[in-house]
Amino acid sequence: MKTKKIVSLILASMLAVSSFAACSTKPTDTQSSGGNEPVQTGDGKEIVDFTMFAAMAGKEKNDGNEIMELIAEKTGVRVKETWLTGQDAGEAIGSIIASGKLPDLIDGGDGSVTLYQNGLLVAWDDYLEKYPNLKEMYTDEEWDKFRMDDGHIYWANVFGNSYDHNTATGHNGEAFWIQVRVLEWANYPKIQTLDEYFKLLEDYAAANPELPDGTPVIPYTCLCEDWKYYCLENAPMFLDGYPNDGCVIVNIDAGMDNPKVVDYNTTDTAKMYFKKLNEEYAKGAIDPDFATQTYDEYIAKLSTGRVLGLCDQYWDFAYNIMGPFATPLSASDGTTFRLDELGCDYVPLGLTAKAGMKQQWHSYDDELNQSSGCAVTTSCKDPDLAFAFLSALLDQDIHDLRFWGIEGVDYLVDDQGLYYRTEEMRENWKSDSYKAKHSCEYSYCPQWMGMSKDGINRMQPSEQPSEFYEGLAEPLKKCFAAYGAQTYSEFLGSEIVVNAPWYPLWSWSNNISSDTPGGIAWKRMGETKHLWLPTVVMSSDFESDWAAYQAAYAECDPQAFLDEAQAEVNKRLETAKSYGWTAPV
Amino acid sequence: MENSIVKSKRTKEIDVNKPKFTAKEFKRQWILVAISAVYVIYGIIFYYLPLAGWIIAFQNFVFAKGIGGSKWVGIDKFKFLFSDKTFLMVIRNTFVMGVLNLFFSTVVAIAFAILLNEVKNRYFKKSIQTISYLPHFLSWIIVVAIVHDALTSTGIINDILTRLHILKQPYAFLGDPKLFWGIVTLSHLWKETGWNAIIYLAAITSIDPCLYESASIDGAGRFQKMRYVTLPGLRPTIMILLLMNMGNVLNAGFELQYLLGNGLVQNVSRTIDIYILDWALDARNMDYSLGTAAGIFKTVVSMTFIVVSNYIAKKKGDERLF
Repeated sequence: MKTKKIVSLILASMLAVSSFAACSTKPTDTQSSGGNEPVQTGDGKEIVDFTMFAAMAGKEKNDGNEIMELIAEKTGVRVKETWLTGQDAGEAIGSIIASGKLPDLIDGGDGSVTLYQNGLLVAWDDYLEKYPNLKEMYTDEEWDKFRMDDGHIYWANVFGNSYDHNTATGHNGEAFWIQVRVLEWANYPKIQTLDEYFKLLEDYAAANPELPDGTPVIPYTCLCEDWKYYCLENAPMFLDGYPNDGCVIVNIDAGMDNPKVVDYNTTDTAKMYFKKLNEEYAKGAIDPDFATQTYDEYIAKLSTGRVLGLCDQYWDFAYNIMGPFATPLSASDGTTFRLDELGCDYVPLGLTAKAGMKQQWHSYDDELNQSSGCAVTTSCKDPDLAFAFLSALLDQDIHDLRFWGIEGVDYLVDDQGLYYRTEEMRENWKSDSYKAKHSCEYSYCPQWMGMSKDGINRMQPSEQPSEFYEGLAEPLKKCFAAYGAQTYSEFLGSEIVVNAPWYPLWSWSNNISSDTPGGIAWKRMGETKHLWLPTVVMSSDFESDWAAYQAAYAECDPQAFLDEAQAEVNKRLETAKSYGWTAPV
Repeated sequence: MENSIVKSKRTKEIDVNKPKFTAKEFKRQWILVAISAVYVIYGIIFYYLPLAGWIIAFQNFVFAKGIGGSKWVGIDKFKFLFSDKTFLMVIRNTFVMGVLNLFFSTVVAIAFAILLNEVKNRYFKKSIQTISYLPHFLSWIIVVAIVHDALTSTGIINDILTRLHILKQPYAFLGDPKLFWGIVTLSHLWKETGWNAIIYLAAITSIDPCLYESASIDGAGRFQKMRYVTLPGLRPTIMILLLMNMGNVLNAGFELQYLLGNGLVQNVSRTIDIYILDWALDARNMDYSLGTAAGIFKTVVSMTFIVVSNYIAKKKGDERLF
């Protein structure tokens, strides 16, 4: 009897203990930095495992990824990258902060400032002096823009930063995209306005309603999910010929010295654009699910090649559809076909409100986005090693490993020292499964665009002119030839301007907090537009719904936001002047 | 006279059943006390100690400064909450969806349990029961994916309706604010009806078969037996479950509304939990204080619901929680 009692007591206490234990931090958690224990490699060198979280959707690499192991041998560091899974950047960073389980390296996206405010990031300043590779990324003036209110630098943006000079062949920004087969079908017409664009999409869809496998085409779709509703929202800014300041138009009619902030949500062009979308929706030319689709559904839709046209930024969709476009599919008549060979690749059109206007859809200079970037967290047990690793990633040989791959396997070198790839190598690098097991870009860690340090090649293959051109599918080459363009940016044909000192203003609005009247107005404006913009597009009575939208919008007090935007433009202008900037004549 | 005797007898009985807590008694029961103590301690640590964190609702809490270093702002956060139109809107949404959910899930589960009980073929009955409660084990993210897929323009619902010529062209169900609450309620029903019915089925089996027999002798038909025997027999179970679920009305959901919502239906889809996530955990706002204030509000309202409905149940002489 006694033993029975004791046994039951032991069992009860075990139950209690196990329920407590379940709540304690497990060292195996991927988010925690518990995996820092060095591992001996074959040659006796110790490899440290770091974790990294980027507040972006991305693809995880397989364990034992070949190039990741090579880089680990050279640098002594292996990084396990994790990405957003369903939630948005703000929520992900918010819950990471609340849980206290930080990765070693982080790109906080919109949540970067919050990470800094909570004292969770390691300042770069000392390490910048120690590691010239990192210091070299930006000029002193540019580094100063990264300084937070305590005077220190906590992250570096890794994108769009060119070594030597900008050699971009692509157009990474926003545009109205169209499949080349549509242009080819219409014998490569010149498309300048929304009317021409939608008419062409409709005509093509009427003449070619299905893909070879029987999938019906969708003339136009548009993403409206969360912050990516810019796909629907900010076209009026571009249509009026302004660059991507993202939150407002900055009018410089009174000279670069006297910039004036203008709201693009209430312009005549905005009304014209949404009225056009409304007409097209009524005609059935716009995807009926555009307002309710998730990003995953959107990408799945684009991957089938059935969407003829869309408005988006290149990076948001293009990398995710390369794999599917290069995969053989079987047509309903039993033959196989590939979407890229069919001409489903997209090219950017620089549409404007009226034909013949100049436009700035493409920005030729590097865009410095100081609002977020790659950072080292206070949870990292060896920050010096982390910075040494980031620095080593910029060594030319490791940089080549990341973006070009292994010599002889992923690229070849000709007798002039120029890197090139064979058709098979190019196909490999389009395949998602090959990239998961073989390539390791560490795409949210410091990197270069532009010229390689050898002075012959480009830092990234997509910018190598020969490689870029050879990598294009046949229909794309024909299309570029028809319009006399060599690159995407030439094809788009934006006006060549030097970036204004306040550009891009979205690097400010992305980080605006809800502490000020302008910040609250910005939040409310966003909520209102999320509701009303799809509503007016789907409306059966456009005029009255547009009026209702404008009334609801006015209630958000957009002026409070515009005033703060104006103040920010003025501040940036003053900063630039203090560095000797003068208005071009 | 008789009454008072009965009364004193009853108090005596209670005294006998409830021994005084003496050292001797403790020695006799110490194992039971020790076992229950584990759960009391568990409850204190995980349910009561965290309540100390409610302090931050009255501060302008900054993570880096901690509770000690953050500034006191009194009831400012509550003032902001109740002056925020969005908050009033999310209360409405949460309440309506909670009530719809509670009502329909209870009614449909009872109806389903009674109907299933009438099925005489044992194998058919068991397989229906198994099939109906399987969706309970799917997580909401899967259910949402199924619902989302079914309701898109190329989904099965639009496909059927256009083939039957009820609709001329696909309808954007997920973009219509009028349909959102209905979609949420139906999704809940699909997922939980079978599971909720289990407890009612169990309760039905505990009803004395003599009652059915005597009802038959009295000439009651099948439906009359359901009406006059089964339903009254279920009454205590229904009351207890309703009471327990009253506290959950404001837990109308998070995942379903969050994942199914979009810009077009935001005014009817957002619940208190989504509002809290938006203000407290989103790095762009990171206002833990406001989130906590909203959470306190929710808790207080839920407690009130339970106490009031328990009181009503007591008044009406029904089963009750406390």
